[in-house]
Amino acid sequence: MIVLDAVSKWYPTGDRPALADVSAEIGTGEFVFLVGPSGSGKSTLLRLLLREERASAGQVLVAGRDVARIPDRRVPRLRRAVGCVFQDFRLLPNRTVAANVAFALDVVGRPRHVVRSVVPEALELVGLREAAQRYPDELSGGEQQRVAIARAFVGRPRVLLADEPTGNLDPATSLEIMKLLDTIHRAGTTVLMATHNASLVDAMRRRVLELGDGVLIRDEADGRYDQTVPQPIAVPAQSAGDGGVDSGVDSGIGIGGIGGIGIGIGGIGGVGGGVSSPWAPPVRGAVG
Amino acid sequence: MRPAPLASLLWTGLRRNLAMTAAVIVTVTICLAMLGAGLLLRAQVHTVDDYLLGQLEVVVDLTDEITPAQRTALETEMHRDPAIVGVRYESGRQVYDRFRRDFHDSPDVVAGVRPGDLPAALRLTLADPRASGDIVVTYTGQDGVEAVRDQRALLDPLYRFLDAFTIGAFALAAVQALASFALIYTMIRISAHGRRRETAVMKLVGASNGTIRAPFMLESAIAGLVGGLLAGGLLVAAKVFLVDGQFARQSTFPLFGWSAVWESGAVVVAVGILAAAAMASLALHRHLRV
Ligand SMILES: Nc1ncnc2c1ncn2[C@@H]1O[C@H](COP(=O)(O)OP(=O)(O)OP(=O)(O)O)[C@@H](O)[C@H]1O
Ligand SMILES: [Mg+2]
Repeated sequence: MIVLDAVSKWYPTGDRPALADVSAEIGTGEFVFLVGPSGSGKSTLLRLLLREERASAGQVLVAGRDVARIPDRRVPRLRRAVGCVFQDFRLLPNRTVAANVAFALDVVGRPRHVVRSVVPEALELVGLREAAQRYPDELSGGEQQRVAIARAFVGRPRVLLADEPTGNLDPATSLEIMKLLDTIHRAGTTVLMATHNASLVDAMRRRVLELGDGVLIRDEADGRYDQTVPQPIAVPAQSAGDGGVDSGVDSGIGIGGIGGIGIGIGGIGGVGGGVSSPWAPPVRGAVG
Repeated sequence: MRPAPLASLLWTGLRRNLAMTAAVIVTVTICLAMLGAGLLLRAQVHTVDDYLLGQLEVVVDLTDEITPAQRTALETEMHRDPAIVGVRYESGRQVYDRFRRDFHDSPDVVAGVRPGDLPAALRLTLADPRASGDIVVTYTGQDGVEAVRDQRALLDPLYRFLDAFTIGAFALAAVQALASFALIYTMIRISAHGRRRETAVMKLVGASNGTIRAPFMLESAIAGLVGGLLAGGLLVAAKVFLVDGQFARQSTFPLFGWSAVWESGAVVVAVGILAAAAMASLALHRHLRV
């Protein structure tokens, strides 16, 4: 679904590249964490996938298309296929929750009957059906992020990017958001989540891509936030395709492989402080 | 985008920017009123032209020494000329009588001229009175021709007067157009700032450039439409109160009619909408990167 081939990015003002020769492949339906210290290039990577920036060198493919070569007037189509949520939610304060979600469909010209039926489904999915007529400033941070997720997902994108979605939230709320993203992932969406939240990454044990100063320094299936074993440079994933075989899972290290996906989710209860019951994702047929 | 959500975007934008939009409307109104005034002045020139042209002739003054053969040759050539529809001979005496009639208000002038002083003339009626220049050139200097006078030239001062006002009105309209552009540019900038969250979200969820720009363009076009309608109203008011109310009683010329007002009004409204939208589109290039 996403292929990065020797991608580098220099900002005009930067004295070093924000991304340097990054190669990786993310299969359809994968869930991948993107970690690394501040300034390591995580947001830059996500911006390249949305064509908010263009790579200075190398190729970025999303759903088989070279993102840099998409003509400007086709970029909106890419962005409809790639949903995105951010640390700061980016909701419209003068619109209700339902109107915020509906906005995403209205501005891409979806017919009214679609908007009317799909928006409540999306709010149901994020557990905010009751709050439909409230305004963002009447909601908690966690609830606002749910609205943002509903908005990003209501158009059924194939890929969901999340740039530190739990950055402003407490651990319990972060876990709620994490569950929601996992639900969306299990509905078949490819999810790439940049995060500093070590406990979430450790609890989920999903594939982890780690950037350091713009260089991909780790690509580990079932990874943790911190490197468990000293890890050599990541080798570009040449052979990995959709549902590729895990390599090196036994040792906890996956070099260039695609992590096993969607396995053992029920076993993660108890992380994140205080949330103890296994997840009961509120899918209710809204996804599909 | 469907009309309803677009209208809601537009409405919030207009409300947020009310003062700025009002300023744009005022400037656009003045600009378009000037444009309309210029158009009406031009209509007035045409009205005067149409009225007088039917009565205007080109006068070919003949020399005293002209021979009957020369006169016959001249008249034959004139009858063959497709640009000339009528040729009338006036003897020196007839010319003198006409002169006395035309200047009966100025006895001093008449007293200074005796019947023999004025040459006989051929008076030409032209197919297109506006195309008198060629005729003047053709017959000037021919045998037996003293001079060729185009009576239309007598109207030149009037036309120059009306033209000066027309040009003045158009120049003012142009200056106001610049001011309007500056204001629309500012309006778009403020509007883009006020809408930056909406715009960012629209980009994020994959709205097309056209959709993102639509509310800005419509906002500007609406200001243009309102300005155009107000300017059209001013033109109507000018017709009712100035032209029909004041000038009609004093003028010896016919004045432009309602059709000129409606035509100018329609032009003004159309120009208002299109120019405002075009200016907005220019400003958007600068203030809205999509
Ligand atoms: N628009 C920009 N212009 C110039 N330099 C930039 C720009 N955006 C990011 N950078 C630089 O690129 C590098 C990577 O930034 P980026 O935002 O991708 O890091 P990050 O991993 O997302 O950090 P954080 O975890 O703090 O969000 C940094 O050195 C940053 O200063
Ligand atoms: Mg970042």
